[in-house]
Amino acid sequence: MRWLEAGGAGARDRGRTSSAGALLAGARLERARVTQTLASLAGLTLVLAIAALFARDFYASANLVLVAQQIGFIGVAALGQTFTLLLGGIDLSVGAVSGLTMVVVAVVSGGSDDKLAVAILLAFGLGIAVGIGNAVLVSWRNAPPFVATFATFTLVEGALLAWTKGAPSGNIPESLGSFGAGSVAGIPVPLLVFAGLCLVCAFALVKTTYGRWVYATGSNPAAARLAAIPTRAVTTSAYVVCALCAVVAGLLISGYIGYVDNQLVGTINLNCIAAAVIGGTTFAGGEGGVARTTIGVVLLASLLSLMVFFNAGISGQLVLEGAVILGAVWLQNRGQDGGRSVRRLRLWVEWAGRRAGAGSTPNDSKERSVR
Amino acid sequence: MRFTRRVGALPAAVAIVLVVAASGSVPAFGRTDRTGADPASAPCSDSAKAKAAIAKVWKQSEKILGVPVLKPPAQTLCFVDTSKYKKSGPYTIAFASQGPTNSWASSSDAYVRYVANRNHVKLAYASANGDATKQVGNVQDLLAQNPDALLIQPMSSAIQALVHQAAQRNIPVVVCTGQLPDTNDIVSTVNRDYTLNGTLFAQWIVKQLHGKGEIAMISGIPGVPTAELQYQAAKAFFAKYPGIKIMTHQYDNWSPTQAKTVAASVLVKYPNLKAIWSDSSFTDVGVVQAYTAAHKPIPFVTGDSSNAFLRVAKKYDVKFALSAYPPEQCGQAVDVVLQILKGKPVLNQVPPASAVYTHAQLDKYYRPDCTDNLWVPSSLPSAILKQLKLC
Repeated sequence: MRWLEAGGAGARDRGRTSSAGALLAGARLERARVTQTLASLAGLTLVLAIAALFARDFYASANLVLVAQQIGFIGVAALGQTFTLLLGGIDLSVGAVSGLTMVVVAVVSGGSDDKLAVAILLAFGLGIAVGIGNAVLVSWRNAPPFVATFATFTLVEGALLAWTKGAPSGNIPESLGSFGAGSVAGIPVPLLVFAGLCLVCAFALVKTTYGRWVYATGSNPAAARLAAIPTRAVTTSAYVVCALCAVVAGLLISGYIGYVDNQLVGTINLNCIAAAVIGGTTFAGGEGGVARTTIGVVLLASLLSLMVFFNAGISGQLVLEGAVILGAVWLQNRGQDGGRSVRRLRLWVEWAGRRAGAGSTPNDSKERSVR
Repeated sequence: MRFTRRVGALPAAVAIVLVVAASGSVPAFGRTDRTGADPASAPCSDSAKAKAAIAKVWKQSEKILGVPVLKPPAQTLCFVDTSKYKKSGPYTIAFASQGPTNSWASSSDAYVRYVANRNHVKLAYASANGDATKQVGNVQDLLAQNPDALLIQPMSSAIQALVHQAAQRNIPVVVCTGQLPDTNDIVSTVNRDYTLNGTLFAQWIVKQLHGKGEIAMISGIPGVPTAELQYQAAKAFFAKYPGIKIMTHQYDNWSPTQAKTVAASVLVKYPNLKAIWSDSSFTDVGVVQAYTAAHKPIPFVTGDSSNAFLRVAKKYDVKFALSAYPPEQCGQAVDVVLQILKGKPVLNQVPPASAVYTHAQLDKYYRPDCTDNLWVPSSLPSAILKQLKLC
């Protein structure tokens, strides 16, 4: 699958040198990446096999519809999160933006279908504002993404509290129900929305210059700037895309339940990050993509459903979710360590080659900047 | 304590996991034995009169639901001698609130202010904004103002040392809508009896099913006393009826969305459920939506009392039993504080007024003129309800 090839230092490194060391490096990095993807697929297969053996009702059509809905809810938010992770960032304000969307829809529409369009437009406008705010903090003020987006999360939550006093007036318009809980030809609308957004995002990341900028900026921001890539604009776009996806997720969930569900804010954050990371999109940036996130989303949604069948409860779900994320990060770090080793090896080969001619030595700081 | 509408699910769950990991068991909230001598303590010896007051609440609730009257569980109940706190007004009461993070909490704060104004009491108010750590600092700040009494809506037992400090300074401490590990530092606790609620719901379900049938149980946040104490009480009651099969016990974080997802999954695995025991109307909303989406008959449900659920129940003709967890409890606690400051004896466990009803009384409690955020029945004056945009 072409998408699985997207990104990664190895892909870029391959074009820079034809030395034997570089080829070796590329091969090892490629192997690490394939291992990561295969691990996610193996995890998914394992979950589905366990379901087949111990929880056959998991495959009942009613439950598959439920899992498909969950894939939609988690997936839409995770897609947006993928963009920030590809840049080596993270967005902890996703849940707050989804919560903001629910409140805006309820309050502005007042439960009336007539005002729904205005409410949705306003929600998207506010989402864009939050995304730009995050980007300004991260890109212009160089604030760590974790701190900046958590501050935004707190700010949005506080503003909502001040606005609504904890009790948003108005209800979710009924027509939104067909968006969150409806289906087309038996396929839940949230899944269709997720699939549509997947296609758009995958095209943007794989087939366009913008996508190459995203991976380049995430892999090595300094090098990307030197290559005249507008890194600040790229960062801004990623955080805005993430916020827009959070708005869509908020609309889907509002339609699904028909209420402003304050309790979901933390869950949305955790699930969207978990899904992207489990799929193989790394925290370090420049590695991952839509296909990997999709695998992670399907794996997580299946796992959460299966936990209900096994009576694991929320504590069990959290423990398992945490364990799976840890496993995914461990695999990623193995890959990164391998990558560093390979890059060191490649530099050594290049240095050895040059030494015969010019006598230069490898530069440690430069090596670190390669990541 | 009423974590229900206070904190996000994840931080609460993480905190619970840490507490459980540290202690090796569920936190020991809800103990009612008073042990150990303490110079600051208010005397409390078991009283038949106090026990009769609590038994009356149980009996009234059970009669409304038409279920057998049970003997309340054994606990030390007494009238506390508060003569040492007697002083003349005007009074300043410090109120450490959870903060208006949702409609239930906003209503709670509004009712406290309403009762304080009505009694010409000065209120020193501090909001924790749903943050248990912030509440510790709030209580410290409030004590620095030398109030005549301290009213706390507890979010964790982290404030225990400060409660002890207040007691040492002869400042009476009253707890509302929650429980702290019981010590002699607390004069009185105003809180709907979790054991009563859990048992009541179980009794009603057994009656509806004539002692036989498959049921599911859905609680809120694991480890939180509001959820666990109700669940344990119900489970103990169901154990007396071998015909009642508890097929599964799930948690939903008191989120309607998660409740709908959990109920939909449970429905797939257990298609013959006759009732779903729950402690929350948030859960009930999700359950009803899951069953209507699957075009299945809605089972009997139980929970607390919100306008949101009544709207859904009326639309789909749901059969239910509810017991309110009133936001007015802390307002009632202000009255208890005033009794203490006048030196009058008060119950160590005050049962607040709480509506218990079934689908047969739906129209009596449903407020179609108000929003889903209203907790019914409400004692708040209509002007305040309007100000809070609840009606």
